[in-house]
Amino acid sequence: MKHTLDTVTAWLARGVIAFLYIPIVVVVVLSFNDSEVTYKWAGFSTRWYGELSRNTELLAALRVSAETALISATLATLCGLLAAMGMARLRSRGKAVFSGGLFLPLIVPEIVLGVALLSVFGAMSADLGTQTLVLGHLVVTLPYAALIVLGAYNALDPALEEAATDLGCNAWQAFRRVTLPLLRQPLLAAWLLSFTISFGNIVMSTFTNGVGSTTLPLRVYSMLKGGLTPEINALGTILVLFTLLIILGVGLRQMRRVLLGAGRS
Amino acid sequence: MTTLLLAPAGITVAGLVLVPLLLVVRNSFASADAYGGIRGGWTLANYQDLMDPVYLKVFSYSLGMAALNTAVCLVLGYVVSYYLSSRSPQRQMLLLLLIIVPFWTDFLVRTFAWINLLSPGGPVNSLTDAIGFTDGATQWIPSQGASFVGLVYAFLPTAIFPIYAALRSVDHSLGEAARDLGCGWWRVHTRVLLPIARPGMLAAALLTFIPTLGVFVIPVLLGGGRDQLVGNLIVTLYTEFRNQPMGAAASVVLLLLMVASMAVFGLAARRLRRKSA
Repeated sequence: MKHTLDTVTAWLARGVIAFLYIPIVVVVVLSFNDSEVTYKWAGFSTRWYGELSRNTELLAALRVSAETALISATLATLCGLLAAMGMARLRSRGKAVFSGGLFLPLIVPEIVLGVALLSVFGAMSADLGTQTLVLGHLVVTLPYAALIVLGAYNALDPALEEAATDLGCNAWQAFRRVTLPLLRQPLLAAWLLSFTISFGNIVMSTFTNGVGSTTLPLRVYSMLKGGLTPEINALGTILVLFTLLIILGVGLRQMRRVLLGAGRS
Repeated sequence: MTTLLLAPAGITVAGLVLVPLLLVVRNSFASADAYGGIRGGWTLANYQDLMDPVYLKVFSYSLGMAALNTAVCLVLGYVVSYYLSSRSPQRQMLLLLLIIVPFWTDFLVRTFAWINLLSPGGPVNSLTDAIGFTDGATQWIPSQGASFVGLVYAFLPTAIFPIYAALRSVDHSLGEAARDLGCGWWRVHTRVLLPIARPGMLAAALLTFIPTLGVFVIPVLLGGGRDQLVGNLIVTLYTEFRNQPMGAAASVVLLLLMVASMAVFGLAARRLRRKSA
């Protein structure tokens, strides 16, 4: 026998899931709106995608974001992989201290991390630009990359590497031939997720960008202060598509491990 | 060998997180030079300046907003997680995917999506005008309400995952057994399922409460920048007022709030564990 309240909560849950989609669907639909103002529907048109492709400011920002995300995701994944391998050799206390430090940026508010980095760059009178931006994004992406790689590395059977060594591989060969191929999926997942996190980052970028290193989110944010245009909706639609591609690339299983595992630790 | 492997991540964390955080704490006690930079020295003036009613209002408003956002996200997060966990395994995968998509969608896209919806003449406004709820002159943005909807929308998926992680291994015959033994709907949830979900709820609360305080984009875009959160205060102090020591002091206050809420959540988690032991 089903309780009425069960039916009510089931509908509420479905409603909430729908609620998560309404704004996204509206962005996609309005991006094809042939009108100067976003909300007045004036027929189907792809002209805003054309406008978008001619907006040199946005394209320059896109380039900065893509480069920054590419470098910081690569650095974060590499650091994460090395840390995972190193931590496997630590005693339990050292492991706890090190992972505490590694995951610290997950709990400290990002805005404080940004302010903190800016203070250091200020004290060193470093010029703000692409380099400082990359370092900032490394701080934000490293914990996520480490989380994924660490989980996958710990799940590996150490006997596999030992077997390779017994069969005459040196440490490097065992890593190249056995460990790395087994970690290919999680490493790709870590890289793609770090790339997305860096690409969409706005808080850290606010503090670490310099003249000429304005990222896409920063540019869009300053455009939005002047009002929303269908052009920004077109950009939003492309970003939604990009999200779907990343999720397909990472795969649901990896995604589930990250999102559900992180909440439990 | 081990040191070499740990060095890149270790240097990153030490050099780009720990040292910078210490520097912020130190700077919060420094005095400002004529341009708002760090002059050095030790003073409590920055903290005293933060006691100004204008700033205290920002702190109390932020805490209220964060608490409300956390409460709404926990309730809706529990409902969705319960729904998810009581579906068949295949359905769970599909629904989980449905929640992952908005979660990974660009934060800024998810925020400006609401400008589309709430702008004058937009879908929500037309709908409320049509049913006579508003009179055509009512504007939904900018407002505190729009800001709040944006916050809930931004953090809801984040809150769902840990709660679902706690609930998904629940054997749903537990609920049925409790029902057979005479538990009503409320008691099945409060006595059986909520205690199982509680560690996830704590994690969800932590992942919602503190990050809400640090948000600065949503109150500007959806709230018109009038009612600020701590995040807005810090950005304003750094970029507009160019008062670095005071910005550092505001950041330290946010850090202290983080430590305090972690202590509260930690204590709650320990009590939970002791009760179940």
